[in-house]
Amino acid sequence: MRMAIQGIGVTGAFGAGVESLRNALKSGAGSPKPSSDTSDAGLFYQASVEGLDEFFPKRALRRIDYFSKMTLLSACLALKDANQLDADRSRTGVVIASGYGALKTTFDFLDSYLDFGYACSSPTHFSNSVHNAAAAHVSIQFKATAPSLTVTQFEMSAPSALLSAQQWLAEGRVDQVLFGAIDEHCDVLRYCRQQFFAAGEQGPLQPFLFEQQTAVVGEGATFFVLTPETESAKYAHIDGLKLGNHLVCPVQLPQKDLLILGADGHKECGRLYAKALKSKEAAAYAPLYGSFPAAAGLDLAVAALCLQDRTRYANPEATSTTPQAHQTLETEKISCLKFGPGGDYGLTQLSV
Amino acid sequence: MSAVAPTAITGLGCLSGAGMNLAESMESLFRNERNPHPPVRFSTDHPASYPVLELRDEFKLPLDEQESVYARTSQLALAAALEALADAGWDESSLRGKRVGVCVGTTVGCALNCDDFYRSYKEGAEPGMEIIERFLRSNPAAVIARHLKLDGPVQTVVNACSSGTDAIGLGASWLRAGACDLVIAGGADELARVTYAGFSSLMITDTEPCKPFDLKRKGLNLGEGAGMLILENEAVRGTKKARGYVLGYGSACDAYHLTAPRPDGAGLKRALNEAFTSAGISPQQISFVNAHGTGTPDNDRVEARVLSEVLPGVPFLSTKGYTGHTLGAAGGIEAVFTLACLQRGEVPANVGFTEPDPELAASPVTQNTSITGEIALSESLAFGGNNSVLILGQGDA
Repeated sequence: MRMAIQGIGVTGAFGAGVESLRNALKSGAGSPKPSSDTSDAGLFYQASVEGLDEFFPKRALRRIDYFSKMTLLSACLALKDANQLDADRSRTGVVIASGYGALKTTFDFLDSYLDFGYACSSPTHFSNSVHNAAAAHVSIQFKATAPSLTVTQFEMSAPSALLSAQQWLAEGRVDQVLFGAIDEHCDVLRYCRQQFFAAGEQGPLQPFLFEQQTAVVGEGATFFVLTPETESAKYAHIDGLKLGNHLVCPVQLPQKDLLILGADGHKECGRLYAKALKSKEAAAYAPLYGSFPAAAGLDLAVAALCLQDRTRYANPEATSTTPQAHQTLETEKISCLKFGPGGDYGLTQLSV
Repeated sequence: MSAVAPTAITGLGCLSGAGMNLAESMESLFRNERNPHPPVRFSTDHPASYPVLELRDEFKLPLDEQESVYARTSQLALAAALEALADAGWDESSLRGKRVGVCVGTTVGCALNCDDFYRSYKEGAEPGMEIIERFLRSNPAAVIARHLKLDGPVQTVVNACSSGTDAIGLGASWLRAGACDLVIAGGADELARVTYAGFSSLMITDTEPCKPFDLKRKGLNLGEGAGMLILENEAVRGTKKARGYVLGYGSACDAYHLTAPRPDGAGLKRALNEAFTSAGISPQQISFVNAHGTGTPDNDRVEARVLSEVLPGVPFLSTKGYTGHTLGAAGGIEAVFTLACLQRGEVPANVGFTEPDPELAASPVTQNTSITGEIALSESLAFGGNNSVLILGQGDA
């Protein structure tokens, strides 16, 4: 079944709110910063949770970690965008996708017993490190008593979770879904990426250099208010999605759609995009928000904005074969393609 | 929502502290055996010792060299999946060309809580990436799909202790939607020092074998294992007999507290009502309930309250005395047990229960009990306030 996008909330290195993302698309400028004080640490697209106190008193947030704050901020922005901040949410489902979950809190919990012994393990850090804690905070803060789901599937988290959100709507389990995709950065992740990618992440992130490792880590969150198909989707419709494995059965790309790639500078996945694309032209916007699994949610948000604005925004890191200026969108449909390193893919089709 | 069509279950597989496969587990359950003991696979400096239910034996999978790095949770998932596939008459080659989905619930299987690596990192020792690579290659649902070279939707559900139940409910909906022809669905989790430390920090683990629904219950025992079901659409199943049916699924969130269930059980009641509606049946048709029954004071109080209100007089039990609380695996293992008990026409005693709690409005079965009827219910409550319910039907003779 088709789903209608009625609200979008985002936070990332470009700022918070859908207008910040639109402005980043218009300017084409990403803003990675140094990852730490050390000069060799590489760059990092850092998100912000500023503005959350517009929606909640500080007291309500005192035991909520950074991951859940990013989640709550984006969820609030999506509900506000949909003009639903004060609506009854007893039939609103919550679906959250994350590649890694609340990393900082996971390591905070380990700190509690590695530093002070097992008898001093922190119950607060433990309960917030459980993967569905962010979804629980959303449900609690918004009194959303319908089903809640959290999915962790690395790069495929967002498209995979979207399939289940679609099913809830199709079967009438919920009237709408608050669908989000979130990932955060942390020092351990930075260390791991330094080990994996010895050249460091100095930028620029160049998604179309498929054979080169140009990834620069990012973090952020995207939320959508999704309803069953209506005549008046605020942004766009999600027509359908397909999940499979390109190495087992090659993905069939729609010929007429604009294709937005989840390519984010990882050459392990880049080779798959190159193989699937052949000579087909595509867009990619990871240079605006960096490389992280849940960025697939931001790709969907970009597709929705392109459809609403009837504009194909220029690729932030244009190549000789991709448009270097904004153009009128000449198609009614956009497909977002995301690959994981094992050949698994999610293909999500959106239309006006 | 309205009633949905039943989904055929053609294969079952499980392993846990109760047994290394379904047949062994059922024999053990009906002998009322259990073997909780201090953890063997890891140690801590915690002053208290909490018994756990580990797998009784080692298990060996047909993995190639690249696959040998898979984490234990993923290997458990794969072991149960292979047993279930064999039970359903499938092998890797016969799945080729089919759209096969994999939906697996877990907790530990997706958490980057590799404390040996992190300790080394904290000490500035610059640990290698072997443990991280293992983590990145060990997403449980992806491991099953990769091992069997499958093409279809793959999803790892991390809804804490209801993950396995949710994975089965979602997998059935994928079939109804035509997203695939066959789904491997269930849950898997290994015992880990991190969860051992975490649950002890919450003070909801018992230093003795757990006592679900008993007056003197003090908490849960952790366990490990996996339980998997093979779900097939009618076109693929053809004339093959079903081992059972997923008749209904319901889920609702308490929206109340991160770790404690809502005292009035409103979320669980809503999940039950949704499950009954989707199955198109009434509560009177339920022959028994495989309850969540962790043995924690709060969980058992809420569950007994709701069961006495919604399903008065219906026999119920918790199998966690036999398996321990296997977290993300629990819903998968318990769905398998529920179907096997329906087939057998009998449920095992709620081991650990000896003394009724006057505060609880209902008590579980105290001995192996014959049951009549063709429909049973398995329920899971979870951190985050999740409540999930499966209604399962007996298979074809």
